[in-house]
Amino acid sequence: MEPRSLFGKILMHTIIIVLVLIWVVPTLGMLISSFRPASEVLNTGWWTVFKSPLEVTHLTMENYDTVVERAGMGLAFRNTFIIASLGTLIPVTAAALAAFGFSNLNFWGKKIMFGIIIGLIVVPLQMTFIPVLRIYHQIGLSGTFLGVWLAHTAYGLPFAVFMLHNFFSALPRDLFEAAYIDGASVFSTFFRIALPLSVPAIASLVIFQFLWVWNDLLVSLIYLGGTRDVAPLTVRLASLVGSYGQDWHLLTAAAFISIVVPVVVFLGLQRYFVRGILAGSIKS
Amino acid sequence: MKKGLTVLLGLCLVVAGSFLYSNVTMAQGQVTVLGVWGGSEEDAFMEMVRPFEEETGIEVLYEGTRDLPTVLTTRIEAGNPPDVVHLTGPGLLRDLLARDAVFDISEFMDMDKFTAEFDETWIDLARGDDDGVYGVFISADLKSLIWYSPPRFEEYGYEIPETWDELMELSDQMVEDGFRPWSIGLESGAASGWPGTDWIEDILLRTAGPEVYDKWIFHEIPWTSPEVKEAFELFGQIARDPNYVYGGPVAVLTMDFGDAADPLFTDPPRALMHRQASFITSFIEDRHPDLVSGEDYDFFPFPPINPEHGNPMMGAADMMSMTNDTPEARALMEYLASAEAQEIWVNKLGKLGVNTEIDPDAYPDELTLRMAETLHEAPEFRFDASDSMPAAVGSGAFWEGILNYVGGDDLDEVLEYIESVAQETY
Repeated sequence: MEPRSLFGKILMHTIIIVLVLIWVVPTLGMLISSFRPASEVLNTGWWTVFKSPLEVTHLTMENYDTVVERAGMGLAFRNTFIIASLGTLIPVTAAALAAFGFSNLNFWGKKIMFGIIIGLIVVPLQMTFIPVLRIYHQIGLSGTFLGVWLAHTAYGLPFAVFMLHNFFSALPRDLFEAAYIDGASVFSTFFRIALPLSVPAIASLVIFQFLWVWNDLLVSLIYLGGTRDVAPLTVRLASLVGSYGQDWHLLTAAAFISIVVPVVVFLGLQRYFVRGILAGSIKS
Repeated sequence: MKKGLTVLLGLCLVVAGSFLYSNVTMAQGQVTVLGVWGGSEEDAFMEMVRPFEEETGIEVLYEGTRDLPTVLTTRIEAGNPPDVVHLTGPGLLRDLLARDAVFDISEFMDMDKFTAEFDETWIDLARGDDDGVYGVFISADLKSLIWYSPPRFEEYGYEIPETWDELMELSDQMVEDGFRPWSIGLESGAASGWPGTDWIEDILLRTAGPEVYDKWIFHEIPWTSPEVKEAFELFGQIARDPNYVYGGPVAVLTMDFGDAADPLFTDPPRALMHRQASFITSFIEDRHPDLVSGEDYDFFPFPPINPEHGNPMMGAADMMSMTNDTPEARALMEYLASAEAQEIWVNKLGKLGVNTEIDPDAYPDELTLRMAETLHEAPEFRFDASDSMPAAVGSGAFWEGILNYVGGDDLDEVLEYIESVAQETY
């Protein structure tokens, strides 16, 4: 190997390692803080544990105990799971069907309808709170999981349709024509050809939508409310802290509990993710 | 593939169906409460209402969010308000009154008992323009307090100052002895600056008097008036002077308000006095579990400045109002006003009681009891002005102005900026 390219490689790797460290250090600090007792978190920085790395007695599970016990994490986890699972499934299913229609079927007003849906991407969701909540209140949907699912579906659909439409449009049309000639209906074309081919795109859409719903605080707070029986993790976590910001040290432990599932989902679907991001970017 | 998807969709529908009716919110025998409390405050609130739940069989559903104004206005606009709401200041109450979203409790409460148990001040603060009473105070925080360490004062022979001049002489003496007299911390996340507004309020209340203070709240005097300017200048004398304040203006701007009492307890002390509300005790307890309240840390009242106006006290308080007129909400309001409920509340949180019938033994320690007595003996009480002003000024331009002024901006420019926001708002 030439010395110059070796030097280049070392430089490149150093830069990457530094960048990675910049990203990882805050998370590491949070992880260490989550195991430290309250009085120490408030008085000294997390890096002080490295001064005496062998004294593990400084570390405690107390924060995790308090969070699980006080916040009623089990119930909150269940609620978040109910919200996030269908809050992801409904919009992704609807978006796949809609995107397929927009890209492969011909019907009157298709372009205008597609334009309207894409235009909805730029509507800030905060604008919709009062009118939607008013309707929900009248038909008895406020404070129900169904209401939150529908809200997440509506907020997630425009982007989901847009993304999948680009992907479906990039699939070779000959595939579908061949299927039609063999006598396949529109539905079987969708289920047997379009869907299996679009797994990477759908997987990355699932990650996007799932993370957004999992992390959402505002939509749940408005439509669902913060009472214990329905409140998701994010709402419970926010109320761990007192009105003057007391007890913030508990947030470190709470944050780690809440990121477990998203991390698992991300790692599980990661191999689709990069492929999916490129979905529809090149039209052959 | 097709079969799998059908099964999955079917499953979703079943799950959806089963949860659809599992959580209908407003059933008989429930009352919903919206507040800003979280953590141990939420626990204390639930403990306070437990006897009520046991006695009446009414279930209290508490919901806590620090974004209370946003959530509350959205729900009210949508016709879906909580039954009882916790308000942090008269500013928010006036907002609700303007929306016609809050109910007069004097229509159903035993007003003879109510007026006997509460000082006129606390009833007047909840009064609307139509003379109705729109809220019940459950506790207060006294803000006109200066914290110090009695062992240190004894060690160096310092006396508790009785007037502002004595306070400044004491500060000079401390500087001479090689100390920084004050510790101030203004950082508080998105609410940074509020501890400084308390300083201005305490000073203005004592230099110009309660009447001017009230006019200032309602913007009947401009921010550029000499009274307001003087209050800022007196505050600036301390907060902008690196000799007077620990770490100079930079530390004032960057230190978290919760950490700001810490310099009093280091060895040697980095500062000797700290002006903060009664709730700072819980922060001191968390950080320094080995300090004894009343012995290792104590308070003296913010001293009078202009003898003409005496020594009025300034503070904040927690008010409960009724935003839905149901029998359950009425029952809860009556309970919250009782000494029985407030005893539990002050005992758990070390807040200061408002109901005059509260048993002094209910307070968790002697220090809290003394703060409560200081509050009740005060000749005049005024609510925190920044919490009483419209949000754009009181929790917007005012906070910003404090930070800019301490940061070194010209005072006239700062005041003109706040005035311009005030003129757009009122």
